[in-house]
Amino acid sequence: MKLVGVDVGGTFTDVMYSDSVDRKVIIHKVPTTGDDPSRGVMTGILELCTRNGIDAADIDYVFHGTTIATNAVLEYRGAEAGMITTKGFRDIIHIGRHQRPQHYSIMQEIPWQDRPLVRRRHRKVVTERLAPPNGAVLVPLDEDEVRVAARELKARDVQSIAICFLFSYLNSMHEDRARAIVLEEHPDAFVTTSSSVVSQFREFERFTTAAMNAYIGPPVRNYVQQLDKALRGAGMRAELRIMRSNGGVATPATISEFPVLTLLSGPAAGVLGGAVCGALSGRRNLITFDVGGTSADIGVTNEGVFSEASARDTTIAGYPVLVPMIDIHTIGAGGGSVAYIDAGGSFHVGPRSAGSVPGPAAYARGGQEPTVTDANVVLGRLDKDNFLGGAMSLDVEGAHKVVGEIARTLGLSVDEAAAGIVTILNSNMANAIRSRTVQKGIDPRDFSLMAFGGAGPLHGAEVADMLGIPEVIVPAFPGITSALGLLASELKYDAVRTQFQVSTDLDVARLNTNFTQMERDILQQFEADRVPAGDIALRRFADARYVGQGYELRIDIGQGTIDGPAMQEAFAQFHRIHEAEYGHAFPESPIEIVNIRVTGTAPSPQLEWPRSTAGGSREKALVKVASTKFRVDGALRAFDTAFYRRADLPVGTALSGPAIILQLDATTVVPPNWSFTADPHGNLILTAGVAR
Amino acid sequence: MSAQAIQGRIDPITAKVIQGALEHIAIEMGYKLMRMSYSSIIRESEDFGAALIDAQCRQLAEAKQSTPLQSGPIPGYIRGMLKMLQERGETIRPGDVFMHNDPYGGASHGPDVAFVVPVFHKDALAGYAVTTAHHLDIGAHTPGSGGIVDAIDCYAEGLRFQAIKVYEEGRRNNQVWHMLRTNIRLPDLVLGDMEAQIAAARIGAQRYVELVERYGLPTVTAATEDMFDASERLLRAAIAKLPDGEYSATTYIDGYLDDPNPARRDLPIKVTIRIAGDEMTVDLTGTAPQVSDRPINMPFKGTVDCAIWLSVRSVLLDSAVHGEIQQNEGLTRPIKIVAPEGTLANPIFPAPVIARFCPGIELSNAVVQALSQVVPRQVCGGCANGGGLLLAGQQGNNFWLQVELFSGSYGGRWQMDGMDSVDVLYANTRNNPIEDIESHVPLRIERYELREQVAAAGRWRGGVGSIRHLRFLSPGSASVESEGHKYPPKGLFGGADGTPSQLVRVKTDGSEIQLPSKLPHHPFAQDESIVAIRACAGGYGNPLERDPQAVLDDVLDDYITPEQAFAQYRVKIIDGKVDAAATRAARASA
Repeated sequence: MKLVGVDVGGTFTDVMYSDSVDRKVIIHKVPTTGDDPSRGVMTGILELCTRNGIDAADIDYVFHGTTIATNAVLEYRGAEAGMITTKGFRDIIHIGRHQRPQHYSIMQEIPWQDRPLVRRRHRKVVTERLAPPNGAVLVPLDEDEVRVAARELKARDVQSIAICFLFSYLNSMHEDRARAIVLEEHPDAFVTTSSSVVSQFREFERFTTAAMNAYIGPPVRNYVQQLDKALRGAGMRAELRIMRSNGGVATPATISEFPVLTLLSGPAAGVLGGAVCGALSGRRNLITFDVGGTSADIGVTNEGVFSEASARDTTIAGYPVLVPMIDIHTIGAGGGSVAYIDAGGSFHVGPRSAGSVPGPAAYARGGQEPTVTDANVVLGRLDKDNFLGGAMSLDVEGAHKVVGEIARTLGLSVDEAAAGIVTILNSNMANAIRSRTVQKGIDPRDFSLMAFGGAGPLHGAEVADMLGIPEVIVPAFPGITSALGLLASELKYDAVRTQFQVSTDLDVARLNTNFTQMERDILQQFEADRVPAGDIALRRFADARYVGQGYELRIDIGQGTIDGPAMQEAFAQFHRIHEAEYGHAFPESPIEIVNIRVTGTAPSPQLEWPRSTAGGSREKALVKVASTKFRVDGALRAFDTAFYRRADLPVGTALSGPAIILQLDATTVVPPNWSFTADPHGNLILTAGVAR
Repeated sequence: MSAQAIQGRIDPITAKVIQGALEHIAIEMGYKLMRMSYSSIIRESEDFGAALIDAQCRQLAEAKQSTPLQSGPIPGYIRGMLKMLQERGETIRPGDVFMHNDPYGGASHGPDVAFVVPVFHKDALAGYAVTTAHHLDIGAHTPGSGGIVDAIDCYAEGLRFQAIKVYEEGRRNNQVWHMLRTNIRLPDLVLGDMEAQIAAARIGAQRYVELVERYGLPTVTAATEDMFDASERLLRAAIAKLPDGEYSATTYIDGYLDDPNPARRDLPIKVTIRIAGDEMTVDLTGTAPQVSDRPINMPFKGTVDCAIWLSVRSVLLDSAVHGEIQQNEGLTRPIKIVAPEGTLANPIFPAPVIARFCPGIELSNAVVQALSQVVPRQVCGGCANGGGLLLAGQQGNNFWLQVELFSGSYGGRWQMDGMDSVDVLYANTRNNPIEDIESHVPLRIERYELREQVAAAGRWRGGVGSIRHLRFLSPGSASVESEGHKYPPKGLFGGADGTPSQLVRVKTDGSEIQLPSKLPHHPFAQDESIVAIRACAGGYGNPLERDPQAVLDDVLDDYITPEQAFAQYRVKIIDGKVDAAATRAARASA
């Protein structure tokens, strides 16, 4: 099987090729083409093939991570969208939860009011009403009103329409009918119904998700069609698969209908890639630590399974979106994070970033403020002559100058200030990891820290020290983990239905009926993708809470017909999870099943990784010995530190820190009290304690 | 922003690391309380608070998720609790958990009950982990804890807890819990929420001890002292930029418009801000005398002080401009507050206070308006007040209760229209999803959308209020505490005044009855409705200077009619387009 993963980033498009027969992995990087990213994608694939004697027509799959949808939202340039909604509820997506984003601010913006996904003039109301608990029709749909609304929107050249009715998660009949009428009147329209995007209660969040889908639908559909055409035009027969934020991939047909599923798929591919690399070395408990120039993405995989974000915590650009997403915690901390002193005299590092322009002072592009990168230069951890594989030189004097200025203000030496900047950044990142582990009853000391991204390997060991994490893993290509994650992703579909069933009065038959129906829907999607039924794994979950609570926790539900004892086991599980998550349980209280979910996955072809057994030697790898600074036992000291070329390290031999390990896309720092080994799977394993 | 060297008590790196850890502890407490709690007013509306307090009763950090009026008063709760313990000759021991809600002892008002877990390090008191939350019911004379607008004194408002040990040295004081269960409606929900509060506070206490053990108490204390000083310097620097002088503003509350007693209505709240150097005095002299037998008086500590602190910092240290700045003790130091005893802003016990929320918003409005004279580009036109509607009923054996918190809206701002239909100033709660409400209580929401044709004109117009129409599907009752039926939010710098709120009862025959802004517990028949029509906030600046394109947008979005566009803005709109020449001519002759 021949696979290609293509990840489009802000600056570069990364391409990774894998051949399961030859056990070969090849990577390639080309500039991202901003106006039409599919050009960069094609250039990357075809260049990689040409340079390595591969016939593009032999490639079986192209896995693609795209930021088209995400960028359309972040830059507020999606389609002019319309909405048809229940009469009396025109402004649900404008009022939201009547809460403003910031407590202490008069001059703040509210994303959904200042940048509406559907402007009020394009929000049409029609007579209809459904009611709980079963979605009974209280007021029938006025079909003529729908027809008029569709015509009016068409007359105003609105090409994308979201249909959002209250309680449609209980009964999609009115939305489905309205959709059919709209398509009769406006056959070219991109139509989204809220119940088809996410069949879940909470109208503001569901309507916003549907509006988001309408907003980004046309551009994403066009892009996917264009790319597919380009692949065919190049004589390729490869199947295209697009990355989703839930960590799975979907077909172009699915993504063209539900583009909202691709939002934030980039970070999802990253953590997936990190998990794949960890799995190569047999590590199944991982904290992924993806640090770039402006932000750090943190994910947790427990026994090889990613946790999914709670539906109430998933947002993009400040808008809530109710789509399944890997639980990734992002904080504003990275190499470009700026160190500054505020008017009150407090010292801060980030979240503001110098970005790549002007960037850190060490980039000599006009940056005047000290950044984390500058601090690493001052400490000797980033080497002037070996940054980005020597592709770019660093302005050491510039870094010293800006760090020196803040040092004088703080009354510290330049080295102490630099170490302080790094310490504060590390501490912010450690706090973020704590919030995803310790605070949820997970002991990070049982995990490995998977450090990647340009800056992850620079900070991984010191952050691990703060948390008592004994091991840090740096993958073979820390800078292109997303492309790798794409290669390892599965075809994945989710279904969800709101239930509101209470443990003391459970309608088990309804659960069984709904689960069966949801599984049938998912199997149909796979069938449309021509996946054999035998390859599909189905898992069931329920979102549950104590009656009265507002936040749900996810529990596993067994396969087959559900009966009383099976649910008792599920409820016992809920008490345990509640205790772990919050430190407290209410074992006497009844439990409400809010939603039930089914996830179907079909494995993608297995990624094969070249194993290296011999490698080079310490001598061969040694580039130089130079002075770097580390804090040991409270004192900041200079150490003679070995700089190694990663590709030439011996495999399986433990070496002691301090050491700096150089490679094209990242620099790894091994502090004095740590050791490291290049393992046969391409990973670099850093271990707390000296080598024995 | 110019950076200057400040010599702290400890190195700035360690100080920053400890401060970051404190913030995270507070956030964890808030997160856990919000997710564990049972009643919609905490978990959906987010009417709760969580904070860490040091041994000197100073706030170290607060949970970001909490509503400001909950976390802000927490240090005052602790001071009130300690005073009470001292008077009774009682001491604090490890394992104790205190319950406190005395509005004359630092609490914001009775329903906001605090649970306090003292933190001990090496046998010495190192501080407190505290959660507060608005409870659905605390045993007042009518159901629920909102809309109790006819309580004649503090005793009628519900149970009062003065530093009650619900746990003593780790042992649960069951007698107290029995008494709570007997005297509170919906005891399962309320006591469940209380347990959640204790669990969250205990986690905070545990994390705080771990922090103190890691760094030692002297280092943690030094870091927090530096943090207070830094916050204080920030606010002082902002005040120092303002010209010295005296700036006043007065707002009015309806009070009880249907009451024959004139002393219960049309009540002024007067704010005079005196700026001298880097300090500010906020003087409430001129505010109406207290209403001794109606609960619209504001506790001086817990409501008045918080309203002032939070409005001042929202203007002078606006987080959209200055970034996130932790609310802590330091931000209160440069502000002195004066309020004569026996006024609405400093009532004398046992004057009732449970419905102090809306007067507090008008106080905040007055603070912002006074500041508009010195920082015109950092303020907004008058904000529309909020309040709440409490609905209850009996279905079979089940008593149900739903709290509907009203939104307000923000006045117009420099270069920005006001925010539409949001909670305002010292409050930042959330509404409940319609699909949640109708799934759990016998109510039908018939309408929830923005008002049309009533937005306050201005160069930047005021925020638009909402209409929410609720119908009873079975017999029940409603109580309301609100404001602004008579006094609209004020316009600023030539902007128009806003539009007042209304409350309407729709009877089963379709006839409508206008209700006052205060409605004590009142029965409603099946299929009767209550419609909350919320005020629109004040405009900012001369409407004739509004961008004609923005006026057109408001017409296209049905906020105003083309006729209003011309009448209010002198913008001529024909066939969905601005007639530029006619507009210029009309504006020139206006």
